Amino acid sequence: MRTILLATAAALLTGACAGDRPGEPTEAQRGDGTDTIELAEFPNRPYWGDTHLHTDTSVDAFGFGVRLGAEPALKFARGDTVTATTGMKAQLDRPLDFLVISDHSDAMGATRRLYDAPRILVRDPTLRRWYDMMHDSPEQSTRAVGELITAAANGTIPEALIDPERQAAATRELWDSHLDLLDRYNRPGEFTAFAGFEWTLMPDGNNLHRVVMFRDGSVKTGQVVPFPGIDTTPERLWDYMEAYEANTGGRVLAIPHNSNLSNGMMFELVGPDGGAMSADYARRRARYEPVVEATQIKGDSETHPFLSPNDEFAAFGVAGWELGNLPLTRRSTPDMYAGSYVRNALLRGLTLEQQMGVNPYAFGLIGSTDSHTALATGDEDNYFGKHTGNEPRAGRALESQNLGTAEGRFGWHYLAGGYAAAWARGNTRAEIFDAFMRREVYATTGPRMVLRLFAGFDFAENDWDGDWVRTGYTGGVPMGGELQDSGRAPVFLISALKDPEGANLDRVQVVKGWVDADGEAQERIYDVAWSDMDGERRRVSGRIPAVGDTVIRREATYDNTIGAPELRATWRDPDYRPGQRAFYYVRVLEIPTPSWVLFDAKRFGFDLPPDVVEANVIQERAYSSPIWLKPRRRPGDAPLIMDEG
Amino acid sequence: MIRKLLRDPLAHFLVAGAAIWGLLALAGDPVDPASRTIELSRERQAGIALGFERMMGRPPTDAEMDWAIERWIREEVLYREALRLGFDEGDAIVRRRLATKMDELAGAEAEVARPSDAVLEQWLADNPGAYAMGGTVTFEQAYFPSERAARAAMTEASPEGEPISLPRSVARMPLTEVRVVFGREFAAELSALAAGPDWQGPIGSGYGWHLVRLAKRDGGSGPPLAEIRDRVEADWRSATIAERRQRAYEVLREAYTVEVE
Repeated sequence: MRTILLATAAALLTGACAGDRPGEPTEAQRGDGTDTIELAEFPNRPYWGDTHLHTDTSVDAFGFGVRLGAEPALKFARGDTVTATTGMKAQLDRPLDFLVISDHSDAMGATRRLYDAPRILVRDPTLRRWYDMMHDSPEQSTRAVGELITAAANGTIPEALIDPERQAAATRELWDSHLDLLDRYNRPGEFTAFAGFEWTLMPDGNNLHRVVMFRDGSVKTGQVVPFPGIDTTPERLWDYMEAYEANTGGRVLAIPHNSNLSNGMMFELVGPDGGAMSADYARRRARYEPVVEATQIKGDSETHPFLSPNDEFAAFGVAGWELGNLPLTRRSTPDMYAGSYVRNALLRGLTLEQQMGVNPYAFGLIGSTDSHTALATGDEDNYFGKHTGNEPRAGRALESQNLGTAEGRFGWHYLAGGYAAAWARGNTRAEIFDAFMRREVYATTGPRMVLRLFAGFDFAENDWDGDWVRTGYTGGVPMGGELQDSGRAPVFLISALKDPEGANLDRVQVVKGWVDADGEAQERIYDVAWSDMDGERRRVSGRIPAVGDTVIRREATYDNTIGAPELRATWRDPDYRPGQRAFYYVRVLEIPTPSWVLFDAKRFGFDLPPDVVEANVIQERAYSSPIWLKPRRRPGDAPLIMDEG
Repeated sequence: MIRKLLRDPLAHFLVAGAAIWGLLALAGDPVDPASRTIELSRERQAGIALGFERMMGRPPTDAEMDWAIERWIREEVLYREALRLGFDEGDAIVRRRLATKMDELAGAEAEVARPSDAVLEQWLADNPGAYAMGGTVTFEQAYFPSERAARAAMTEASPEGEPISLPRSVARMPLTEVRVVFGREFAAELSALAAGPDWQGPIGSGYGWHLVRLAKRDGGSGPPLAEIRDRVEADWRSATIAERRQRAYEVLREAYTVEVE
């Protein structure tokens, strides 16, 4: 009798966490993937992933209504069909190669626990109100989380929800079972599941969020728990990361995102105390934050028309988001933009490097989704919403957003989200993580263009006739790399191949930033290849005619009768000056295509205001990580800060 | 004190556990929630100890055990009072939890079952689609921006094609990878070709048109069970659990009539 009861008790106790999942992970699945698969000689293709996905463990995502956890998220990302929270079948058009589930470290799992708690035990009046709202209706639940985020921004979250001691045990338990799940889904050579979390620092509502991503399996990641973001600083996060690496021998990096909602605080010229930035701060920042998420559902952070008045494509994904910080508790003014967008941050990095010998903002670029639906999709025709409150349904495009309601941010301001592409020699944790560390990664706003970029001093037009990828790696550096000035202009090999299931390409541009002789940061955009460049679209007084537009608005269709399947360029910087400190990154533009908003209007059969229609004929794009040109080093210069691994 | 309970995961657990014990009680365990006598059987004590051990990763000390029992008794008193006051009725959480537990019980056996190879072989045979790798292909291709140019080049012994950043030739590339690199349309059309020494096509792709010399095609059937046993077992398990839950529900459901106003 006793044995039976014990067995029953054990079954009941484990019942909540057992279920539908793969068997025990193998040694290969549990580690970082080193020596588990055959690797290519050079990175052979971009591996596609999302480094920024929330599930029902995230305090806000659960409140917004999502009821899918990490397991369906992993299944969806690897290509399986899952059922979304609102009941629709959901599947990716093409599987992803890797995924970072990045649930908020603060109050991890707390809304789910609050929701599941017996009501009489919820004593705090605010929590009790949120509890009732969450149980009332999806709309009320979404409102409750809107209040919660504003409370987080204002530092008025009820103690009961965020008390570290109270939270610690719950987080430990969640994290351990989560790591086990990740190992089970991690399949070297097929699909990589990374451990990570989102660190949600938000002073006064200004978004300083980072996604933290680990290279390692559960043996190492199980030695820590996610680091909370409330009431701390980036330096404390780096301390945590440094301690993790020292104690476990593992590796970890952090990816800032939504600088566009930081009111200028993400990429400041000054140090955290408002004084001059220290070299130590800069060095640590560069060391632990090698990559920035430049585009996602909550807008595009590449640049802003105010900062780049000569860039005719600068307005992508800016509308709505430029108004203020994340919860719109503080409005933005143009003087803040310089610290909010990545192109300008790259420029600031050059200036700071000139001043103190270290560049804090020498980062690569990726895209991701930041979806709070547990569904990692960045595809326009398969947009599952920012959160469960705007999973596919007729009204979502024209409604006000849940944060900053009635302040000018509407559903249609959401982008479908982007992806991260990593040039790696194979699909393992180690290979993809290391690609992030050496910044050999790029961002897209959803389409899977294949973008190669090499820089050297001896590349020539006829390199394309041979094995140019080998030439690129052996005779130069790939995206993310650094060149030492040699007294000659750098030459770039650039190839952009369209997404085979997507739209043709309009043009390829090089964005150059440099510090001029007066110490002023400058930027310039060069069109280096475009479709029909010797025919209809010959350059006229410095300008290239627009590629055209085949989008049928009502049908949400386009055709590939314009544009090119591939654009290549061998480009030598015509404005090179010896000793110049510069960066170069590539932007690839597709021909105009319909955004998710037009797909929605067609699918649900409703009319959009004409200005909304036109704003949703878009040119999707890719941003490469930059290559930096550095002045020749002299004795006494500060040491290089390139990754030693 | 109640706030302290709220912050304690064990409390959450015990509330759920209490509901389950209640369910078991209804199924024959002689505990009357309305009774004012609390009997602490050895089995119950073992259950409490086990709960502690699962939470802390070690058995409780005597003091901790006393404390855990004290807490259990406190909870039992509150639980019975709650039942007496009818708190369990009309509570959406209790309702949902009990329903979930019923569901889980129906699938519980499959959760721990160790299916034999024969069972899994049968499952694999019944569901081949999910595991088929589609085999590998070895081919050369030449790219053309237009179909006309591709057709014109068919007369050449070894068509050159136009430059594009796609592999000119690949060896033993899985069809899944062909789909990623060359696109879906190309992979589908390539699958329809017979291997042979001649150039064939043109076949279309998202990039344009291709002439193809398909040297070899390997496999195409699913991998052996031994290679993918974990995955097959997991899929078998989830399908079996779902099926048993559904079957159990249907048996119960049959006894009910639903009248919708």
